[in-house]
Amino acid sequence: MELTDVDLIARVLAEDDQHAFGELVRRHQSSVRGLLRQLTRGDVALADDLAQDAFVRAYKNIRNFRGEAKFSTWLYRIAYNCFREDARKRKELVGINAEQWQAEPDPQTVDPGLRHDLMHALSLLPLHERSAVLLCCQNGLSHDEASRVLDTPLGTVKTNVLRGREKLKKTLAAWAQ
Amino acid sequence: MSEEIQDDWLDRKLQEAVPYIEDDGFTARVLRQLPQPVQRHEYLRSFILVGMSAFASALTYVLSDGGRFILVEMFRLTTIPTIWVAAFALASGMLVMAGGIFAAMYKTNQVQS
Repeated sequence: MELTDVDLIARVLAEDDQHAFGELVRRHQSSVRGLLRQLTRGDVALADDLAQDAFVRAYKNIRNFRGEAKFSTWLYRIAYNCFREDARKRKELVGINAEQWQAEPDPQTVDPGLRHDLMHALSLLPLHERSAVLLCCQNGLSHDEASRVLDTPLGTVKTNVLRGREKLKKTLAAWAQ
Repeated sequence: MSEEIQDDWLDRKLQEAVPYIEDDGFTARVLRQLPQPVQRHEYLRSFILVGMSAFASALTYVLSDGGRFILVEMFRLTTIPTIWVAAFALASGMLVMAGGIFAAMYKTNQVQS
């Protein structure tokens, strides 16, 4: 039987079991790296560095995880804080890297043209709207969970999602026909 | 297209636009950066606990004139009325049971949260 996240966390807490933590990283690396890639507007190297930093921080602070939220929500919060700190250090957010977006096509479903336009439209959103849209619309977090991740009032998150969605719909209107 | 359908369409496209990212050694790199687990000296803790207990027992034996107080207390216990002993046993049992129920409820809450 596959162990749940809670079981794995319990092993890390009880025995400093780094293999158990490795399993947690394997499970959540894709979503955390994906979120950070979007936040950094496609800077894969920076996003992966931030993701590594986020997981190491998660390991060091795992005793502070109280299980009030899902482990993934807690991880997103750490990853988002890593991103914010890095952005603050750089004083400016990185620009879009269109080549990198095109280098990772999704052969299964999305038209490459639509994907490019979607990513471009996302990158044009202000950070607060982009973060809220990514967490709620892309990663399936509830507004309440997103407000915990972003440390922002619930009403503000709802407004940001709404505004972000409207802007994306307007930009992508031709694709939605 | 209605508002709701447009929202669903957008959410679906957003989710599809980010494919699963293969691990490609990412987990291994993270594990290499983790601090070394703290070495726990379990044997040392056991040794200290057993040593202290043995020392305390020896000290008590010597200071209490060979444990004479135990015999005195046991003699005193035999003089207590049976009804008192029964009441004491009942109260102790109920206390332990209440403690058990409280611990079980606390654990259940922890697991559920």
